[in-house]
Amino acid sequence: MKSLVSIREGGLASWAFRLGAAALVAGLVLWIPTSAGGGLISTAIEALTLMSAAMALNLILGYTGQISIGHSAFLGIGAYTTGIFVSRWGFSPWLTFPIAFAIAFVVGVIVSFPASRIKGVYLALVTLSLGLVFPQLLTWKKLSWLTGGGAGLPNKDSQLQTTGFNIGRKEGQMLHFEIFGWNPFGDLRRPDNKAAFWYWIAAGVAVIVYLVCRGVVKSRIGRSMIAIRDNETAAAVMGVNLVRTKAFVFGLSAGLCALPGCVVAIKIGSVSPEGITSLTVKGAITFLIVMVIGGAGSLWGPIVGAALYVFVTEKTGEWANDDAIPALIRPLFAWAKVPPGDGIFAILLILLMFVAPRGIVGLWNQYSSRIVRVLPRPAGAVGPAPMAAVAVSTITDSEGEHE
Amino acid sequence: MKRTRGLAAVIAAGALLIAACSDDKTTDSTTAPSTGDTVAVETTVATGETTVETVADTTPVTEPAAEGWAVDTDICVDPDSANAPIEGTVKIGSVMPLSGSAAAAAFAPVKDGYEAYIKYANEKGLLGDVTLEVTIEDDQYNAELTPGAVAKQIDAGVNIFSGIIGSPNNLAVRDTLNDNCIPQLAALTGSPAWGEVADYPWTTGQLVPYSVESAVYAAQIAELYPDGAKVALFHVNNEFGQYYVDSFKELADQYGIEIVGEETIESTDSNPPTAQVTTIAALKPDVIMAVPLGAQCISFLGEVANAKAANPDWTPATFLTNTCASSLILGASGQAANGLYTSSNLIDVVDPANAAIPPVAEYLAYMTGLGKADIAATATAGWTTAEVTVAILIQAQASPEGLTQASIVNAARNFTHTPSLGLPGVEFKMNGEEDPFLAESLIVRQYAVAADGSGTFTDIGKLITDFES
Repeated sequence: MKSLVSIREGGLASWAFRLGAAALVAGLVLWIPTSAGGGLISTAIEALTLMSAAMALNLILGYTGQISIGHSAFLGIGAYTTGIFVSRWGFSPWLTFPIAFAIAFVVGVIVSFPASRIKGVYLALVTLSLGLVFPQLLTWKKLSWLTGGGAGLPNKDSQLQTTGFNIGRKEGQMLHFEIFGWNPFGDLRRPDNKAAFWYWIAAGVAVIVYLVCRGVVKSRIGRSMIAIRDNETAAAVMGVNLVRTKAFVFGLSAGLCALPGCVVAIKIGSVSPEGITSLTVKGAITFLIVMVIGGAGSLWGPIVGAALYVFVTEKTGEWANDDAIPALIRPLFAWAKVPPGDGIFAILLILLMFVAPRGIVGLWNQYSSRIVRVLPRPAGAVGPAPMAAVAVSTITDSEGEHE
Repeated sequence: MKRTRGLAAVIAAGALLIAACSDDKTTDSTTAPSTGDTVAVETTVATGETTVETVADTTPVTEPAAEGWAVDTDICVDPDSANAPIEGTVKIGSVMPLSGSAAAAAFAPVKDGYEAYIKYANEKGLLGDVTLEVTIEDDQYNAELTPGAVAKQIDAGVNIFSGIIGSPNNLAVRDTLNDNCIPQLAALTGSPAWGEVADYPWTTGQLVPYSVESAVYAAQIAELYPDGAKVALFHVNNEFGQYYVDSFKELADQYGIEIVGEETIESTDSNPPTAQVTTIAALKPDVIMAVPLGAQCISFLGEVANAKAANPDWTPATFLTNTCASSLILGASGQAANGLYTSSNLIDVVDPANAAIPPVAEYLAYMTGLGKADIAATATAGWTTAEVTVAILIQAQASPEGLTQASIVNAARNFTHTPSLGLPGVEFKMNGEEDPFLAESLIVRQYAVAADGSGTFTDIGKLITDFES
């Protein structure tokens, strides 16, 4: 198959390509809080939160092949850990991130025990029950001394405002940086710029989750996870400890999923099962959709999926009135008296399963080689490849060569 | 892996399709408001005497702004913006659940009623040359989405927000709007949080606080049972239900009430509360104080009727939150609703006996003209909220400062208004920190179902204004 451009892995062009992509992403990440309006910043926070949760789910479902429809519970653990520790016991909100991670990790490990014995639809049901039970547990009267019951936290007296739960509200908490007069983070001291502050927390969490996922996937444990996903029996024969690996991955995935929950709690300033849809089963289904659409088993899949999901739901959210629907597709959706975002996503999901069963990133991987082909590093090569590694439109590769 | 991914996709797609389909189906249903926010303000049939009295007293009146409480704009991020004159068009923003859950179906008429009044106000030129423009965003009753929806509207230059539905949803944007000194008027919830004038001067509530409604019922129970009453509580297990019962429990001793039991139902539970009502029936209380939501009101009343039939010697009085006091809900409950007590502060616009009252007739004619006669009963909440908002704007416009964000909130906090669809004697009042709640008057009503299934409300006593600050 012919490619327009072929570059050698580890070569100068390869590095230039990577740096260009990284600069593009970094530019976008910096542009949003400094130049965009509050609406776009809020949308970006939503996308970043969803990305983090879907990346955490991807670890267990995409890489280890263990289906989970209960990750909303782990996000809820994160949200409630922040709510409880700050409002009940006056902890710093920053401290609640590692605490939430630890609690969710332990719960995840406990949940993994049935996962080591069952799989497929049975495991889906076990995790689904977790997702269903969790909101009930939060509203359970006997736990209301801790969770605030049905009213959630805070309930009557805005305790969270006075204990620093809403960290953007306290003076002196936010730093201000300037580089030659340019403030790369936006002026976070301004109270009306709180959205930018939340944005940076959400972005920081997303970066941490991504780096952890990347580190794990590319490690020995990552190879064990993929081996379990592809063939459990073969993995066991090859010496992979199935129980320990699954327990670790479940715990890690749960812990990482709790972090965006902390962000949600900080952003909203209160926690309740009714106020945060992400901690109900609908949230778990959303993480699943985002991951599948973006591409399960790929690091960028949840990122692309979350961005697309938020974009589509934002756009279609304005379509409650028929006039707002673009004329070209109006006949398809004008009958709907509610914004058809979820419906569009359902259709998109079904189509994608036919066209791109590996999601958008899988589709990109399949066709991008026609434009840019990355040739593998020659065997034994350690340093950078020679300069002349770039060839344009002339290299013909045989089918099956490494992409 | 392929199988796992396929399974995940099938589950996700199925769930989405079901959600998408069910939303559409429920939009036009006759479900009443299904959250804790009291939007079901209409009643079914009132007595003839009341009607005559109503004609005389329901002329909408907004009294001139009183000198008094004024917001401090020095602490605003941009004081100039808070005091800048608003000319030409007042952009009103709001966020309501328009999709995503059963709540969307319940609240759709509120949006229609709100938009209808704004259209009416523009046609009548209530603000002179100033035009009103309203945009209502959808947050699916999910507080995670409310800040984004509000931020988008701020970017679009919205001057004030009004009628945002849901306590968590309003709380999620309260800081932002107060920091930016943008009025957040007429929050459509009865949470006591809207009374925190010192900390959140830019946020005001629209509905009767849940605690006031509870107190009205407690007083009525004490009157019915002067020797003390045994009361069982049944409530939805969320913020709305919990506020109600907590307030009620606090007042129990004062009114000689003994709480003998408490049963709950989850807000998402659509199954009849058979077990809960059976437990209550076993306790044989004198009174059941019930705070269910939407369709749960119907199933609860049905279960109570069944329990009464199974225990003929047990005839408890049932007090039902006015969220359930809609003609749709009580009509659907049939004989099971007979004899229950509830409350209201607005006229029942679908009662033929009230049809001749000028504001009711005008409202019905206008809604019919818009092709929305079918939702006239449930749209009154939106209509009244918009009416209050416009009345505040008119008052602000008449102030020496003219229309500014600061003058609007000053007008809101020094406000007296007789709502056009309010019961005789109902006044919406706010007075700085002294009286932070707009509506605190209610009348207790009893519902009677005739043999042909038609329902009638009878006022019990007079309008209770004791809780007005």
